[in-house]
Amino acid sequence: MKQIFRIASILALGALAVTATNGMANAKDKVTVGYIGPITGKVSAHGIAGRNSADLAINLRNQDPNSKYEYELVALDDECKPNIGIQVATKMATDKHVSGAVTHFCSAVATGAVRIYHQFHLPVVVWGAISPSVTYGNDYKEIHRTIGTLTSQNKVAVDFLTGLGYKKYVVIYDTTDYGKGHLEAFANDLLATDGELLEAYGVAADQQDFTAELTKAKSLNPEVIYFAGLSDLGIRVRNQMEKLGIEAQFAGVSGIISDTFIDGTTASEGSLAMRQGAPVEVMPGGPEFIKKYADADYKDPAEAYGVYAYAAMNVLLDAVEEAGPDRQAITKALNTMPAKEYSIGMVEFDDHGQNVNSLVTPLVVQDGAWVTWDESEYASGKRTLKGK
Amino acid sequence: MNSISIYRNIFVSVLLGTLFVVAMMMAESQVAVLSLIVLAAVSCIVLQKKGVIRKLGSDFASAEKFANGTIMIGALATAVVFAGDHFILLMLTTVLIYVVACLGLNIQFGYAGMVNFAGAAFFGAGGYAAAVLTMQTGLPHLVVLVIGGLVAVIVGFLLILPVLRTRGHYAAVVTIAFSLLFRTLVEVSPVLGGAQGSPVTGMVIFGWNFNEGYQIAGFDVSFYINYFLFALILTAVTFTIVRRVERSWIGLNMDSIRIDETASACFGMNVARWKVTAFTIGNFFMGIIGAFYAMMLGFIAPNNFTFGDSLIMVSIILLGGIGSIWGIILATGIVIILPEKLQIIQEYRFLIFSLGVILVLLYRPNGLLSRAARTYFPGLLRGAR
Amino acid sequence: MDIGFIGQHLVNGLMQGMIYSLVAVGFTLFFGVLDVIKFSHGDVLMVGVFAGLTAFFGLDALGIENPYILVIAIILFSTALMALLGIVIAKILILPLKGAPPLNILLITLMLGTLLRESVRLFYPNGSNSKAFPAILPTDSFTWGNFSLRLDSVMLFVAGAAVIVGTYTLINRTRLGLAIRAVAQDEETARTMGINFGFIVLFTFALGSAIAAFAGVMNGFYYNEINFSMGLLLGAVGFSAAIIGGLGNLYGAILGGFLFAGLQTLAAAALPFSSSYKDVFAFAVVIALMAWRPTGLIAEKAYARV
Repeated sequence: MKQIFRIASILALGALAVTATNGMANAKDKVTVGYIGPITGKVSAHGIAGRNSADLAINLRNQDPNSKYEYELVALDDECKPNIGIQVATKMATDKHVSGAVTHFCSAVATGAVRIYHQFHLPVVVWGAISPSVTYGNDYKEIHRTIGTLTSQNKVAVDFLTGLGYKKYVVIYDTTDYGKGHLEAFANDLLATDGELLEAYGVAADQQDFTAELTKAKSLNPEVIYFAGLSDLGIRVRNQMEKLGIEAQFAGVSGIISDTFIDGTTASEGSLAMRQGAPVEVMPGGPEFIKKYADADYKDPAEAYGVYAYAAMNVLLDAVEEAGPDRQAITKALNTMPAKEYSIGMVEFDDHGQNVNSLVTPLVVQDGAWVTWDESEYASGKRTLKGK
Repeated sequence: MNSISIYRNIFVSVLLGTLFVVAMMMAESQVAVLSLIVLAAVSCIVLQKKGVIRKLGSDFASAEKFANGTIMIGALATAVVFAGDHFILLMLTTVLIYVVACLGLNIQFGYAGMVNFAGAAFFGAGGYAAAVLTMQTGLPHLVVLVIGGLVAVIVGFLLILPVLRTRGHYAAVVTIAFSLLFRTLVEVSPVLGGAQGSPVTGMVIFGWNFNEGYQIAGFDVSFYINYFLFALILTAVTFTIVRRVERSWIGLNMDSIRIDETASACFGMNVARWKVTAFTIGNFFMGIIGAFYAMMLGFIAPNNFTFGDSLIMVSIILLGGIGSIWGIILATGIVIILPEKLQIIQEYRFLIFSLGVILVLLYRPNGLLSRAARTYFPGLLRGAR
Repeated sequence: MDIGFIGQHLVNGLMQGMIYSLVAVGFTLFFGVLDVIKFSHGDVLMVGVFAGLTAFFGLDALGIENPYILVIAIILFSTALMALLGIVIAKILILPLKGAPPLNILLITLMLGTLLRESVRLFYPNGSNSKAFPAILPTDSFTWGNFSLRLDSVMLFVAGAAVIVGTYTLINRTRLGLAIRAVAQDEETARTMGINFGFIVLFTFALGSAIAAFAGVMNGFYYNEINFSMGLLLGAVGFSAAIIGGLGNLYGAILGGFLFAGLQTLAAAALPFSSSYKDVFAFAVVIALMAWRPTGLIAEKAYARV
């Protein structure tokens, strides 16, 4: 009998404690925000990193006593497939509890889904997709993007590479819109310079073997092999260049920037790449993000673009803080948001919702790490690139 | 046999089924979804053990028209319940779309015994036809649907020679190769929008704009209800045609060819003719519904039509039970809805899903609802004559 | 195009062809004894490479640095483990389903493939990213004009050829091979002749899976990069290769593998359209070949049981 009393009293105490904490939490209103990214499938590393980073932003905000609301995250998986993307976008956008969302890594998915957000008036901040059409292909007030488009990136790439004196280029691009978009922008910008595009080879996004393309490229004697695609493919291209003894300089788009690229290649030293924004270490809030991400002890690494999801989520949360949980009010707050500094640098939207401050920084691999060009030993002349 | 009890049994089981679907679609939390799945699995196993399922099967078979009508009403009732909910209607419509596509595939797989691992390619051929036609011409959308089907048929004709000449695993490789080829082709060819994908116009039939919702008595009705109703009609039509084909001499010929091609040929059957027929009808359905799917989503891209998507269609057929129409409908529901409902377990859901399919196939090798042997007198109340 | 580049393309194609052939050999073996297509073959290959990588990390931690010991240990560990996995798969999934419709085995192994792929992605440390495969073979390269050949490529090619020759000898010159061929020809007669059917099936699955693991490790050493989804396309290509060659025939698998690689290289290197169409071209030729030779280039002995 005593025992029963004891158990009952413990239970009662527990219940009391739970209600008490609940009561405290309820002091703030709950606001639900969403995250969409590829959590399964080939690019899931980025999708999971993005989800963790968005989650981190929310947890930190919830710990902040000054925040007006208690935030809750709903994360959905678009599998990097447009049809699934439209499905989950509909789910997110028609869920009345969701006030706003941070969405999409894959450009084709984002391009298809923006119409849904517009239709159901859900304000979103795109965190990872960089095809220009996501913001510039429409006039939707709901769509914003903190990451820059690939157009700005290639302009810098062309100026940087021709500035180094390279004239003959071969491009290897994956035939998804990501790679192809880069190719078009790169080729277009190259026309304005004395650089020459010798040939461009399209490759499938899941291709293993590039020796045939590279052997052809070798016969053209390029000075630079410019790679437009994601790190998986970049690793294979770089390794196989080495295998075939191609002595051209390797340069890539922002998609190859990841620790995986350095771990995965046998010859990463001296590879160039254009970073959308700055590397996370030198971003205004980068070191802080890295530290907090590490403290939160997620199972998976933050990857190169985790910080973008983190920043995008913070932009959204700031808008909610200012305008409250109403969707239309958030959209308005985002559209009229003054320029403000986030972990990725200044964020300021133009009338298409595109962040105009898309800084691009050339990076180079030096001793197993991505280093900003200006601070590298290659810039100071201590080491030299291929063909220099 | 008491025919009233038959009608009652049918009514009650359809009612329970509809309630289950509604509950499943409404379930949001992890606990609710998982307990519903467990509930369904346990009650199916128990009912199976007690022989109730077999009894119900014969009830359904003996009062077919009534059963089909009741199920139709159940589907409509579900739509009414979710009339304001865009997402759930979208999911339910997606299920119907895949049902039509898989019924088409079923004619090839289940009746004529032709393996086809390029389902998503024919589906996509229809979709791309719709994208090009709606964006660049003003053709009425009903015509676009039919042309979508015809395009899939024409694409299929490219394969007809190798498909006819090969058998079994050799035929499989022809369609696997085609499936891989199709996806790469639409991805690298700039004419069709490339990897970027292509927008598609929403459906308008005789001034009935599918992309507009309604207000009924102050209640917002989702525009997806248009697509749902139209898909329901398409499903009903396809269902009827497939059933007719199955039960006619056409189906009989196909069955005979599937079971033994050599023997059928010895008895003077024109094997090639029936294979071409099955292949054509199947592709036509896949093309039509692919065009419809594209118009509903408003956007298509090559990533929707990969080899993996073809395999999903094949797994629906095998999971449901080869040749079994109701089995396919059940399996489509499971294969389309379950991964979505499992979003809560995020990155682990495909792992769980594939494990589930393996278990089902180990313990029910003939699929969930295997096709019954031919009775030759379908629709007759047993013992009534 | 000068002779150096032609030679280079030839070498590239041969290396790829060797990998494809090894995968195709597995398909052909399984088909021979059980008339089944095991679609998880490509993913078994992938698991094999990851096992090899793990073995490398383990040995590395023990401080073993001799490259030859490392290579041999990686290969042994990976092939042995996959042989075991092959036996488990056959025992749990394939043999119990012998009576079921043949397509079920296809679906079940397909799902098993997904299961393996997802498991590596989720449970291998940082498994969703590409991994570097150690380049421990000697990389001395031989350059002649525009032609460049590395010693490690030669070693891999020779090793692959040795595995194929070994398999061929095993099948055609030993008593065990005789038993395998007997089962392949007629299961029931073989049983009545006192051949242990279950053992032969398990052995064949172990052998096929071990060859897949070898192909995987070879792929790893050649490209120095591995990832969780590498098995999918390799499986599909290996299957196509086994089919165009003619199922159940070792020569066919080898022929098919090299043919497929040859087509891809030809399309990328010599044909006038963009190289992104090379898979379209290779698969289109496969379809055309099937129309011409419906049971593969080296046809199965055709007889139909009526």
